[in-house]
Amino acid sequence: MTAIIDMRKVTKAYRGVAAVKAVDFTLEQGEIHALLGENGAGKSTLTKIMAGVVEATSGEMLHRGQPARFLTPNEALNAGIAMVFQETSLVPSMTVAQNIYLGEEKFLNRLRGVYIAAQQFLQSLNFNVDPAAPVASLGAAKRQMVEIARAVHHKADVIIFDEPTATLTPEEKRHFFALMKRLQASGVSIIFITHALEEALGHADRITILRDGELVATGKASEFDRAKVVQAMVGRALTQQIYRKRNAAHLRKRGAKVLSVQDISMGNMVRNNSFSIYDGQITGVFGLIGSGRTETFKIISGVYKRDFVRGGDIELDGRPVRYNVPRQAIKDRIAYVTEDRKSEGLFENLSIAENFFSGLVAAGLQESSIVSLREMRSLSEQWSERLKVRAINSRAKAVELSGGNQQKVVIGKGLVQRPRLVIFDEPTRGVDVGAIAEIHQLINDLADEGLAVVVISSYLPEIMNLSDRILVFRQGRVVEEFSPVNATEEKIMYAAVH
Amino acid sequence: MEQRGQGWTQERIVFALAVVLFIVAALGLRGFADPNNLIAIVRSVSVLGILALGMAVVIIGRGIDLSQVSVMAMSGAWYLQMLNDGRPEGMALLTVLAFVVFIGLANGFLVAYGDVPPIFATLASGAVVYGLVRSQFIGSETVPLPPGHWLEALGRMRLVTVPVEVFLFAGASLLIFLFLRYTTWGRYTYLMGDNFQAARTIGIPVRPMNLLRYVISALLAFAAGLLTASNLFSINTRVITSTLLYDIILVVVIGGIGLSGGKGGVRNVVGGALLIGIMLNAMTILDISNIYQNLIKAIILLAAIIIDSLMNPRDEQTAQQGDI
Repeated sequence: MTAIIDMRKVTKAYRGVAAVKAVDFTLEQGEIHALLGENGAGKSTLTKIMAGVVEATSGEMLHRGQPARFLTPNEALNAGIAMVFQETSLVPSMTVAQNIYLGEEKFLNRLRGVYIAAQQFLQSLNFNVDPAAPVASLGAAKRQMVEIARAVHHKADVIIFDEPTATLTPEEKRHFFALMKRLQASGVSIIFITHALEEALGHADRITILRDGELVATGKASEFDRAKVVQAMVGRALTQQIYRKRNAAHLRKRGAKVLSVQDISMGNMVRNNSFSIYDGQITGVFGLIGSGRTETFKIISGVYKRDFVRGGDIELDGRPVRYNVPRQAIKDRIAYVTEDRKSEGLFENLSIAENFFSGLVAAGLQESSIVSLREMRSLSEQWSERLKVRAINSRAKAVELSGGNQQKVVIGKGLVQRPRLVIFDEPTRGVDVGAIAEIHQLINDLADEGLAVVVISSYLPEIMNLSDRILVFRQGRVVEEFSPVNATEEKIMYAAVH
Repeated sequence: MEQRGQGWTQERIVFALAVVLFIVAALGLRGFADPNNLIAIVRSVSVLGILALGMAVVIIGRGIDLSQVSVMAMSGAWYLQMLNDGRPEGMALLTVLAFVVFIGLANGFLVAYGDVPPIFATLASGAVVYGLVRSQFIGSETVPLPPGHWLEALGRMRLVTVPVEVFLFAGASLLIFLFLRYTTWGRYTYLMGDNFQAARTIGIPVRPMNLLRYVISALLAFAAGLLTASNLFSINTRVITSTLLYDIILVVVIGGIGLSGGKGGVRNVVGGALLIGIMLNAMTILDISNIYQNLIKAIILLAAIIIDSLMNPRDEQTAQQGDI
């Protein structure tokens, strides 16, 4: 066999922090290669370098034996390398067919012809998707199918799948793996990134495992078993400690009922959703993309408005509330820590101190009505120390911090408002391992102090480790509640998918 | 990554440019360094500076107010017209004040509650203000100041040989400085300019803040209109078709207040106004004709905006659709 892609000592650094460190990786002609690793291990970054989405800081890449450097995804695609993204890269307002043929429309574009061609093409892949449906109207799994169809359609001979099965049902998964085998038979080389070890062990020819940006193991799939993979993936004691399993003795008892949600609805995203949140414990919320988990909690914190007619009821301490703007929720001491810190969390061009202080002035909790720089500085020192924010000084701009420190600043901004209910949406997304441990400790401390805490996460080990109870969201509502003692990752995932 | 307070920030470049221009003009141009001329420079930018202060408050909170010149000319003209018609002073002043506040509220309302991009909302409202006042309230293009009015005395007033409008510009600068720096609303202005969504989520009253900023801008425009009347003893509404609006934006941008919001302050406005004042004065002494002065100003504005968008790139994720 010959190598179709050969990467040598490839490194990619973001702001001086290496996401991928001197990795040697080869993809053989016509193989299915599974790429494994934890969140933040560098799997996505490594494959994005191959697909021209990001550029390597150093190292070289050979494509069919020739040195290659793709500056844009288009260049990679023209060379026959396609990537199917985790976060969908489709145009939501266009139809399925238009998306598949995006970028190769004829000068005179006949929609009817495109639909007929797309229909036949989708059937040949065994995908049950209506080519005339707008992508926005599709669920997560069908969007994934359209993404895959587009990559196949481009006649790529290398296809990279970034967590292709995360949103698929078992039935769809079987179809997907059958398709992968068919693509392989027609000479396509495939890389697929996954969290699920069984998929890698069962369907890949070779397996590569990354940890903290470094390649820790690579070899034939037959040489691996589950234990060996887990050991390679987890490696250090720190990671094991972060994601240890809870036992019954350590679960917190529920306190008073803080929030009672009855049948709330918002368009198609949230449908008749009902649940309660209690003081002094951590409620873990799990759901796939599009399950309405973020939307539900944004309604509770006033960022979104629920339907005016038949929108349901929300009671805070038994008192009905309906917020039009987040300010009202802040006054009622509900803090929402966003999942998207760049676009709705941080004030990037302002200093760390100004970021912390923003929470205080927004809630009107500062000592005097005249803004005091002294108060701002002491507040910033106090919270930087409590949250262990590491920066040169408190005048550093927020944008200059690492992901973990940025996340701590966003969390601190909410906590200075002295909330009684804190909602963390993906609190450790894009955060390094050390900071994850510190953020988890902080979340546990808050619950121990008696606050009502909600943690929304799409990473199961995080949910399993932090939660005192687990709510699973699907299609806009809570479908099942688990205790972490008797829940398994498989059970939770099953509830989230079916 | 550069730390704050080091290196060549835009503010320092502007300051250095102003100093260099000043020295060159002082050495090379006869009569430039004359104390009377220096006072004249500051005086000439007082009205422009006051308008730019209002524009700065709007731009820092992410927005723009293109109705400013229209509000300035038409509110001033209407006020003078009422005085000429023999209305009592207090009533005229209160009526126009109420009108100006209403325009500011309307601008803010369109932006905050109507989700109209500020650039279009204020462009249209400025045209409405002009059309309304010109057709309904004033008789001619130029409205004179009634003889013996207090504005006339104000225009002639000198404090230690310095015209009073210099002090008025300084006073307005101080007020806006205190507002931006020491009040919570001032902090809110920077926060919503830096990241509107984050500001809303953290509980800042972003919509009332929008109203407030456009009202401040309109009130400062009215003040600038009164000052113009005290200088020229009349208000010519044709100022609306002049390059004044571009000059205001030039002062703000060249001073280092990024059009994307969240940056800069009063000292940037003062710096920008002085630089423009020195430049215009030098060009006048050099006897460069008005049409060439306009061309030069326009080219500098274009360059300043290009540099601004390179230094403060608009952020695709935090920018709202359609803002500025």
